Amino acid sequence: MYLQITHATRYDYLPAVEIAQHMAYLQPVSNQFQKLLSHSLNISPTPTQMTQTLDVFGNPRCFFSLQSPHTVLDVVAHSVVHTVGRALPLSLSSWEQTREQYRYQSGGHFDAATEFVFASPFCPRAPEFAAYARPSFVPGLSVLAVAQDLMQRIHTDFIYESQSTEINTPALVALAQRKGVCQDFAHIMIACLRTLGIAARYVSGYLLTQPAPGTVKLKGSDASHAWVAVYSPDLPPGERWCDFDPTNNRAGWHSPGEDYVTLATGRDFSDVSPIRGVIHGGASHTLTVGVTVEPAPGDGPAGPPCGRPRIGHQNQSQSQSQSQG
Amino acid sequence: MKDATNSPSFGDIVKPPDVQALAEACVAAPGHFDELRGCTTAPAEAPAENATHSIADNPELTRAWAQFFENFSDTGGIDLNQRALSLERQIRDNGVTYNVYADEGGPQRPWSLDLFPLLIEPDSWLQIEAGVKQRMKLLEQIMADVYGPQKLLVQGMLPPALVHGHPGYLRPLHGVKPVGGTHLHIAAFDLARGPDGNWWVVSQRCQAPSGLGYLLENRLAISNQFPLAFQTMRVQRLAGTYRALMESLKQMSPAGADSHIALLTPGPYNETYFEHAYLARYLGLTLVEGSDLIVRDERLFLKTLKGLVPVHGLLKRVDDEYLDPLELRPDSTLGVPGLLQAIRAGNVLVANAPGSAFLESPALQGFLPALSRHLLGEELKLPASPTWWCGERSAMEDALPQLRDCAIKPTYPGSPSHGSFDTVMGTSLSPRTLDEWAGRILRQSEEHTVQAYVPLSQMPTWQMPAAGVEDHESKGRILPRSVVLRVFAVSDGPQSWRVLPGGLARVAGAGAEIASMQRGGSSADVWALTRGEVDKTTLLQPHLTPASLALRKRLVTSRAAENLFWLGRYTERAENAIRLARLTLECLNGEDQSSLPLLAWLSKMAVTNTLVLPGVPSAALARRVFERSLISSLGSTEGATSVGYYLRALKMTGATVRERLSQEHWRVIVRAEEELFSRCAEHTQSGDYSPLEALRVLKNTSDHMAAITGAQTDRMTRDDGWRLLSIGRHIERLSFLASALLRGLETGSVHTDGGFEAMIALFDSTITFHAQFQQSRDMAALIDLLVLDRDNPRSLAWVTHTLRGRLAKLAASEPDVLCALSLRVPDPKAWSLEQLCESHPIPASAGDESGNNPGYYFALNDLLLKCTAAAFNVSEEISTTYFTHSGKNKQSLGT
Repeated sequence: MYLQITHATRYDYLPAVEIAQHMAYLQPVSNQFQKLLSHSLNISPTPTQMTQTLDVFGNPRCFFSLQSPHTVLDVVAHSVVHTVGRALPLSLSSWEQTREQYRYQSGGHFDAATEFVFASPFCPRAPEFAAYARPSFVPGLSVLAVAQDLMQRIHTDFIYESQSTEINTPALVALAQRKGVCQDFAHIMIACLRTLGIAARYVSGYLLTQPAPGTVKLKGSDASHAWVAVYSPDLPPGERWCDFDPTNNRAGWHSPGEDYVTLATGRDFSDVSPIRGVIHGGASHTLTVGVTVEPAPGDGPAGPPCGRPRIGHQNQSQSQSQSQG
Repeated sequence: MKDATNSPSFGDIVKPPDVQALAEACVAAPGHFDELRGCTTAPAEAPAENATHSIADNPELTRAWAQFFENFSDTGGIDLNQRALSLERQIRDNGVTYNVYADEGGPQRPWSLDLFPLLIEPDSWLQIEAGVKQRMKLLEQIMADVYGPQKLLVQGMLPPALVHGHPGYLRPLHGVKPVGGTHLHIAAFDLARGPDGNWWVVSQRCQAPSGLGYLLENRLAISNQFPLAFQTMRVQRLAGTYRALMESLKQMSPAGADSHIALLTPGPYNETYFEHAYLARYLGLTLVEGSDLIVRDERLFLKTLKGLVPVHGLLKRVDDEYLDPLELRPDSTLGVPGLLQAIRAGNVLVANAPGSAFLESPALQGFLPALSRHLLGEELKLPASPTWWCGERSAMEDALPQLRDCAIKPTYPGSPSHGSFDTVMGTSLSPRTLDEWAGRILRQSEEHTVQAYVPLSQMPTWQMPAAGVEDHESKGRILPRSVVLRVFAVSDGPQSWRVLPGGLARVAGAGAEIASMQRGGSSADVWALTRGEVDKTTLLQPHLTPASLALRKRLVTSRAAENLFWLGRYTERAENAIRLARLTLECLNGEDQSSLPLLAWLSKMAVTNTLVLPGVPSAALARRVFERSLISSLGSTEGATSVGYYLRALKMTGATVRERLSQEHWRVIVRAEEELFSRCAEHTQSGDYSPLEALRVLKNTSDHMAAITGAQTDRMTRDDGWRLLSIGRHIERLSFLASALLRGLETGSVHTDGGFEAMIALFDSTITFHAQFQQSRDMAALIDLLVLDRDNPRSLAWVTHTLRGRLAKLAASEPDVLCALSLRVPDPKAWSLEQLCESHPIPASAGDESGNNPGYYFALNDLLLKCTAAAFNVSEEISTTYFTHSGKNKQSLGT
């Protein structure tokens, strides 16, 4: 499927910001399962300095800094990608066997995915997660079967409620209150899997906002989205990550579906947040984010733009954010 | 041999023969290595009380210790208690402190230092040196692999849980080769000497180890106490190693020998801030906080009064995760946004390269022996006691049965999200608790590391008699205490290290087995002895390049500038408050008690300068109430902002620029504040705080202030930082004196005899005035001396003239600004006595009660108003001109 995405972020500052440094994860990854056909990043005012690099997980990221006073910052990322959807593969090895593979043994086998078994800032390992996850860990089930069950349970047990959590809400709190947004669901599912020894990572991305007629409009389509990828070591090398979206209860190989676009993958939100920055000055600011995902020309007529801007007013604080999905 | 502790023949003086005997009576606990004797004390067969009777059976003191105690005989009758007291005083006077996080905001705790050094014999030292150097090499290779190819992980030599699972592993720096090619420049190793006499590594600190400053201070203090022993015993010196480190850091930094290196501190609230300031001064580094720095175009700069100055190297004392809010912890206010980009670009050397914290995990110790064989092809020369990381099943199975004889340590110390806990000793646990621990270990095996327990060696320590104890033991004793030795390795070139020949001994409290400053332990100097030559290098730089000379001109950071400006203002405010309080108390208790204009003037001055609580009746209405409020406010920091408030503000501001103040200067500041508060508290408690006592306290404080202002005038380099301090003082002085005179005219006080004298006294001009004008009470004479006299440092002409000059000099680099600012201050050249003496008669109703009408001095009044306005305006403009990029409103954003 050909998809085009416009992700517009606008900061209004009062008073002016004197110096700002930002780091953006706004360029979709390009690999054998998702082709990035074009990408542009327009920043206004024009940054004094800008560099593009890959991070440790292979995600493209962009640093830019502004060194003169400004009251508005506009960052517009425009991307066109080609996506494919594949159903979940069959996996035979049990979750117990899989977990054993990550256990360290002197001189033993090393799998780079082990990195995603450990706790990370937003996904601590805690007994509460183990307790919630346990029913899904039926002895002998494959990792993918466990993940699918867990995804389904989160989808059923939790209420999706925008604004119900802050960007910094710990996964434990969201677990306790049984509600949150896509980012919370992803963190909870990751923490559950990791606490029981399974490698899982966070996927930041988008979901097509205007699905084919007749289908129900999916939640999270007006903002950037987030879901989970789970590692199954018995699959062919390079094709071992399977994606699970607990917000929408959808799963697939490399992506929950062809209407999904992967921006970046990391241990959790903190590794791949779309834009973060440090500013000097600008005591108060208003953040406006608009995301539009639509079928690109060449793959049927483009629907009308439907990105609904989301506005948040925030007062002076050290760290502020908009959550994903 | 007689029992030394029972021979009171020398009274309270401990003379040399006694010391020897006391030392011989000091025996390490059974099972611990006895530093004094160089062997392990045999297990006790007899009850402990009998221990002193078996001294004769104890082996003799080692040669080094015997020599150390022998040296006392030449120092005459200096008693050890005297030395211990003088040591305590010296530590206090030098302001050596250690802030304990537990009482943040509370008072700083003085550094605790034992009188005796820990002696390390040459052979023992050589063993430590070789082992530590080998470890540095090994750790550097591990670091290079983890941030490079990660072969050790692939080969299964290193568990991913200790790298990827460790919060100290910094992903943004993976694949980055540090500029200069070396990751580790400074590391500390805590060593314990086991019963076999060998040193064992207990832990290693590779992130931002503390101690390099404290140990210098320790060395200075202790070598002063025992100069003879220090000279004769071939104690290795320290300066050469510090110099090698500095040269190596510069050599590896992007600008080579001309590199500008700064010490990055978290700031005055950090527990070891004293050391940061001390070390910066000793090494000639600029002491900076994160907010002093800025990254532009992937380069690091220091914000100074003169603009941005490049920085090529950072010796960091900020924990890694706080270094860059952009890529690491977004809530950090201690770091520099963009710093990691500058590091990746190779534009700045950071010592140590960020990301080394994972090397500090106790679990790593279990893997080092194999890694050493693999990477170096050598056995570890200085091993750790056997260590099991429970994340490896076979290791856990080995460890569980021996928990009782081990320490249980967190694999990820200091990281609560990774199950960190306080280390526990198996021996101290009940069987049930021990089982609970075993259960925890089984459940969260990766988070637990088990390490075999090494009984610490014990060194002799001098224990002063407890105050008030009047028994035969009151002259003090030498007692054994457990000790951990912290040694430091520093780089002296690319991939090359040397070991600082000395260290920081950390001494446990009585009966304790864990030596920690946070737990009431103490420290001791470490004398590493050599058979060879003693390297007497000092830190003086042998050759200076023009660039390094230019850099030596002290940079004034914008933050330091602002603090110096306020240091000046608080100094002058304290001075003014003291002078005014003294004058007021003297007048209220002097001959002229009933002069209403004088009382009105004093009341107004006290209220304006907040020496009394708001709402207190004036001195004319209720003299005693007024007086009591003034006295009780002296030592209060709430409500009124009187002398105590300003002294505390002075000290706190001084602390932020501690590295720019001479030792003496800082000492007086500390003492002035301490004495004022303690005396005020004393008198308040006794319930009788009389004006006489208050005057005595003020007199004492005033003496201190004379020393402080003297140090400011005479003992500070006159750079722009000093200029701002001076400007701060003159702004306050101008405003205070002008308003005093204005109120003197307003109340008519200056036209009374008492008021006239008081005004001259407040201007500190009594002696000059009477020398010039004898007993005259002429207004023209007063105006001449207090307003126009250019030789009187408290005349308005002198103050305005000086202020204009300093402002001009400060602005020298930006001509427009400086002129404008100077011109805001009234020009004394335009003033004439004749004009200022002109007065209109005041309508009769407003005249004073004596009936004579002194008139309204309109020109003088006008000038005084201009002076107070100028003080205010100049202060405002200085803030906007010089301090605005102090960068206080930094915040993080994210979507």
